[in-house]
Amino acid sequence: MANIIANLNKAFESRIRLGIMSVLMVNESADFGTIKDLLELTDGNLASHLKALEGSDYIECSKQFIGRKPNTKYTITALGRQSFQEHLNALENLIR
Amino acid sequence: MEKQLEDLKAIREMMEKSSKFLSLSGLSGVMAGITAILGAAYAYFFILGEHIAVANILLILDAIIVLFISISFGIYFSWKKARKSNQKLFNKVTLRILYNLSIPLFVGGILSGIFISRGEMEIVASITLIFYGLALVNASKYTIDEIHYLGITEIILGLAAAIFLYNGIIFWTIGFGVCHIIYGLIMYKKYDLK
Repeated sequence: MANIIANLNKAFESRIRLGIMSVLMVNESADFGTIKDLLELTDGNLASHLKALEGSDYIECSKQFIGRKPNTKYTITALGRQSFQEHLNALENLIR
Repeated sequence: MEKQLEDLKAIREMMEKSSKFLSLSGLSGVMAGITAILGAAYAYFFILGEHIAVANILLILDAIIVLFISISFGIYFSWKKARKSNQKLFNKVTLRILYNLSIPLFVGGILSGIFISRGEMEIVASITLIFYGLALVNASKYTIDEIHYLGITEIILGLAAAIFLYNGIIFWTIGFGVCHIIYGLIMYKKYDLK
């Protein structure tokens, strides 16, 4: 049992981070506003979680301009995809 | 244990919500079907007796009006459903769906126009059914599964309409009328009544 729990990734413990990773798993990329709308969060709250995931190299962001408006786009990294998949497997094993 | 189950549920929901257009209302399908049947009935009883040149123009007008009314109802019911579930009607996924729908639809529309201009009206029912079906299949990966099967049904009906060339209006009425109503009711029962 202890072994199974050890496979759960601490970085994905919060529901918000689960949400962010879920969105980026099934979409090639998502911009800040889209994620914010989907998760129904405030700017500051979302930004801090995005920063944390970025710090663990699970997601990466690219800034660009659409017209004059700055736009921050997030994509999942290979490491992020693998880690999230492992986390999902661990969750599934736990409820089995 | 509870938390893990809840987590998995949340993950699944977020994956669906962010990649699929779920505000499509079954009522849109039902209304589109009724409009199509009325349009076809009008064409059958009032237009087909006219002189061929007049009839062609009236048929195109009839089709455009049916299309316009169906799309309006589609947008209205989806907008209502999106508002009810606190979602935006126009987002990235909606744009992706519209893009994927529009390619086969434009090609089918242009091809129909070419045949109409040559006076070969009888193939148009088949072309519109086939390309509409292809458009639905193409866009179905971004919305509920039923759309995929509706698309396949339309394609089969379109091919049948090409075989039985002079009964086009029957297949057209089944495809755009009856099928829309049936699939619309299935979708309404499965998704909207929750």
